[in-house]
Amino acid sequence: MPHAGPWLGYVALVSGAIAASILLYFLIKRPPLDLGMKLALLLGLGVFPAVCAATSTVAGMEQTTHREFCGSCHTMDEHFENATDPHAQSLAARHTRNPFFGEESCYVCHADYGMFGYALTKFGGMKHVYYYYLGGYRGMTKDESRRDVHIAKPYDNTNCRQCHTTTAHVWRSVPDHTALQKELAANKVSCASPGCHGFAHPFTKGPNGLGALPPASSSAAPAAAADFAPSASGRPATGHAP
Amino acid sequence: MSVFHRVREWAIHRLRQRSIVFTARAACWVALVGLAVMCSSIIYPMPLLIIFAMSVGQVIGIVAVLLYLVSILGDVIRGSDHSPDAPGPARKFRASDGTNAP
Repeated sequence: MPHAGPWLGYVALVSGAIAASILLYFLIKRPPLDLGMKLALLLGLGVFPAVCAATSTVAGMEQTTHREFCGSCHTMDEHFENATDPHAQSLAARHTRNPFFGEESCYVCHADYGMFGYALTKFGGMKHVYYYYLGGYRGMTKDESRRDVHIAKPYDNTNCRQCHTTTAHVWRSVPDHTALQKELAANKVSCASPGCHGFAHPFTKGPNGLGALPPASSSAAPAAAADFAPSASGRPATGHAP
Repeated sequence: MSVFHRVREWAIHRLRQRSIVFTARAACWVALVGLAVMCSSIIYPMPLLIIFAMSVGQVIGIVAVLLYLVSILGDVIRGSDHSPDAPGPARKFRASDGTNAP
């Protein structure tokens, strides 16, 4: 996960200001276009804007990992409020209170891991933007979004296991863990399911938060991969964890 | 005449119609727009603005650099005997003067 810090934004703003100063000097003062001015324009049009573009891109990508960014769409209001509620006991809220997750708790749990994980996560985020602005999510009420907006694919236990190792003695000492080890590794049973650690966002799973599962999977294990199916609106949807 | 030569003739013709300074000033205005977009995404980190800055904003910046390079290219083509803020070809490119004499 990126930890560029806010200084990249300052670098972008300072280099942008320097570039703008050079350009405005050329536009307003109208000096002769001699060699010195050409070199100054090379800085104002090439070097400083390149620094500004690079740092603003990294800072922008960093910004997209923040919880406030994820919660800036109204369809995520309840997820954001629950995650930041100091009294909430959902999986998401408890992890958000963990200092390791900090301001990036949505990203840390939902990011794909692996060599191309960062890029794939950001590409998936672009689909969210598409659904929000062009796919009808923007006009949804909160009730509609709670009913129709679901995680795009079954939640991968690998994300949990980035921190919760399955090789430690403490993990193996739990009978359910050892009994379900193969199913957990194959994502046939989700860590974030009723009877295990509970849903991450239980308020999306019915009034009691225990899982208003879709009809196709109501009698099956809560996190079966077969649960993945398009919703009535045709958008990708799953009815289970997290 | 091949397509390459047609494009080359067209580009040179267009370059000669504008002064170097005009192209450089256009590059400056375009770059200012690009910088404004990129900096605004830092100050107001909203989803659409960040995506816009990381895509369109950078394209605008690239267009500005290309315009600047075109102006430099035009300056090189025209030669040192031609004022950069004057439109039209340098002396050695004028049809009426085929001697290339300075």
